[in-house]
Amino acid sequence: MNSRTKKFRTVYLSLFFVILYIPVLSVILYSFNKSPSTAQWAGFTLDWYKELFNDRVITEAFKISIQVAFLTSILSAILGTATAITSMYVTKKMEKTINGVMILPLLVPEVALGVSLLLFFNALRLPFGHLTLVLSHSLFCVPYVYIMVQLRLKEINISIIEAAKDLGAAKWQIIRTIIIPLVMPSIITASLLALAISLDDVVISTYMSGPTSTTLPVHIFSMMRVGVTPKINALCTLILVGTFFIVGLSQLVSRKSRKEEEFK
Amino acid sequence: MKKFKQNAPAIPILAWIGLLVGVPLIFVVVLSFLSRDNLGNIVFQFTLENYKRIFDPIYLKVFLNSFLLAALTAIITLLIGYPVAYFTANLESKKRSLAIGLIMLPFWISSLLRTYGWIILLGNTGLINNILLRMNIVKSPLSMMYKFSTILIGTAYMLIPFMIIAIYNSVDKLDKSLLEASSDLGASKWKTFFNITLPLTIPGIAGGFTLVFIPSLGLFFISDLLGGGKTIFLGNLINTQVTKGRNKPLAAAFSVGMIILVLVVLFIYSRVTKDNKEGLF
Repeated sequence: MNSRTKKFRTVYLSLFFVILYIPVLSVILYSFNKSPSTAQWAGFTLDWYKELFNDRVITEAFKISIQVAFLTSILSAILGTATAITSMYVTKKMEKTINGVMILPLLVPEVALGVSLLLFFNALRLPFGHLTLVLSHSLFCVPYVYIMVQLRLKEINISIIEAAKDLGAAKWQIIRTIIIPLVMPSIITASLLALAISLDDVVISTYMSGPTSTTLPVHIFSMMRVGVTPKINALCTLILVGTFFIVGLSQLVSRKSRKEEEFK
Repeated sequence: MKKFKQNAPAIPILAWIGLLVGVPLIFVVVLSFLSRDNLGNIVFQFTLENYKRIFDPIYLKVFLNSFLLAALTAIITLLIGYPVAYFTANLESKKRSLAIGLIMLPFWISSLLRTYGWIILLGNTGLINNILLRMNIVKSPLSMMYKFSTILIGTAYMLIPFMIIAIYNSVDKLDKSLLEASSDLGASKWKTFFNITLPLTIPGIAGGFTLVFIPSLGLFFISDLLGGGKTIFLGNLINTQVTKGRNKPLAAAFSVGMIILVLVVLFIYSRVTKDNKEGLF
């Protein structure tokens, strides 16, 4: 690559990344603006953040979002891991079927999925709220856990399992004492991922929320529809910080486990 | 029989997804053929009325709008994203991990925040107008919100990381010796690109197209926030018909239409990448 192309490459990529992050950075910037309008910068303030904590509706929605996200992440971790381990023991053809079925919730457009679940749960007369939210969220979180745990399972040295078998270990014993500890880092990373995905979902939650169980993104969406206020900026910024914390944590877990492995 | 025993543990999970995806979808298909009474209650009477209404000029336009938005989003993200993917794949390893990190990071940023960011930028009292007014480039604020193009910007911005990652993976897999051979044989850079690089990365382009097209059909919050409900898309239509509870069978018929559109895209995708073993799915 000659220097002119290199220069063009640098300029193009830098420009792209600047545009990619400007909208996000401006949301963060204006959360500290004293003036309620974006028309002018009136100085730095933390008032909008203070206002958030005094808003009962927001703190309530936040509580529900957290509860739903935790339950979703636990359920997804169990189901996703169980399926990944199951896929090791079934026939090749069945494994392919599972792979195909697992991708299904991610292929159906979210609106169609949300609407079909809404109509279905309605017909079953399930009360809309935590239950429907957790069920629907785990539907698109399980595939992620499945994929991540399966990737890790494929890396396991088969001879370890063979050795355990030869020494008389039962299938359950092998799963419990060998497989699960080995894939634990992946399970943790994947459940953190599920936590973040659940916390961010708007479309499906719009249909699954009950009258007393609005999640935070659904509430933010209704706030945004009314208009621009720095309070929304502050709320979005806090969520961003929270998500990055979760993602950072998951990165830390996976990096640490990788290092330990190298050490061994 | 032995095979069945071996596969038995897979039954619960298949049943679980089947119950939560398969059954509701069948339910929607059935519902789309049912009628409703004046109160919006569902009546168990077979009708094709809901499907006929799709071809109503008003509703047909909604389908066209959505198709246009999805197709344009895919094209724009391809045009902007291809060079990003290509250049990133050619960076030295340290810079490359940084660039990939920056491309992936938006996945972790709330999609509402990313949409809202454009309101802050493009609004009448937004950042861009402030700067233009302050610099005396314009006399009165430019009106940039609530247009089809605003929605297009928002949707393309939301989905471009998918396009870049899909193309990046296929550029990264390119056999570098082919490129060297081409330049050794005297082909110009552009010729090498169009004759070798581009054809070989078509699976990545097709993958990116699919990954961008499908979600852009349903991101109703973007058109709500950036379009102000002026242009109606499939996602908005289904959303209002269901949540306002007016006509669920019609919403069901539109959902079926949307799913058929997705299936068509997936079919085309599988055709394009038929000879390529490493597909997305």
